[in-house]
Amino acid sequence: MKYILLMTGTKAGVDTYRAWTKEDIGKHMARLKSLVKDLRESGEFVGDQGLTGPEEAKVVRGETKGMPITDGIFPESKEFLLGYWIVDVATPERAYAIAGLLSTLPGAGGMPTNMPIEVRELASHPLKWS
Amino acid sequence: MKYILMMNTMKAGHGVPGWPQKDLQAHIAYMISLNKELHESGELVSAEGLSFPDQAKLVRAGKDGVPVTDGVFPESKEFLAGYWIVDVDSPERAYAIAARASAAPGPGGAPLNMPIEVRPVMSAPPPEML
Repeated sequence: MKYILLMTGTKAGVDTYRAWTKEDIGKHMARLKSLVKDLRESGEFVGDQGLTGPEEAKVVRGETKGMPITDGIFPESKEFLLGYWIVDVATPERAYAIAGLLSTLPGAGGMPTNMPIEVRELASHPLKWS
Repeated sequence: MKYILMMNTMKAGHGVPGWPQKDLQAHIAYMISLNKELHESGELVSAEGLSFPDQAKLVRAGKDGVPVTDGVFPESKEFLAGYWIVDVDSPERAYAIAARASAAPGPGGAPLNMPIEVRPVMSAPPPEML
């Protein structure tokens, strides 16, 4: 069963991460690298991506002539995807346990961020391209 | 340049849209055709569809690292329905692809013109974070 673990945050939330000291960032990244290494070794790791910040985001809609309309204005309350991990696990509980580990990664002052991680199963949908 | 194209269109409680079967099939055929075209042009990196929001859990680490799950989301929350990662020469090309996805047919075959959020994917964490 493939699950996606989504890390989201608002613009204000992203600004608090950016205020971390270099030492705090170093500790956070070291723990994250170690967790990903464990998931690779257990064969549960499928993929991960980090996204650029909310200020880079555009919203696009198709118009009748197929020309894209871009806009970069979002409400303050909007949650942006910051990054995700995809894991292939035996049970949903295992996906929640991994999300719990991600949530304990150290943040400012080395304290756990306790950031919420949204967990959803990937759809085995028919949109594959090959 | 890698970009992620996100469909953030679903609200809490939503399942398969209540469209006629014919309209659902036309929508899916459009997406398969778009994915095939992007695969053939070498621009498609990956695409995933997510399960519906009623399957979503929110996880935080509790004491002792035990995951605490919750399935209660604010009514206003936007859920990720699916995404594409494309590798393109310019942001404009990413916006053009997003417009194609936006124009996928909905009920009665009319273009949905759903909003697609477009952001660059980070190839790696910034050097100062490593």
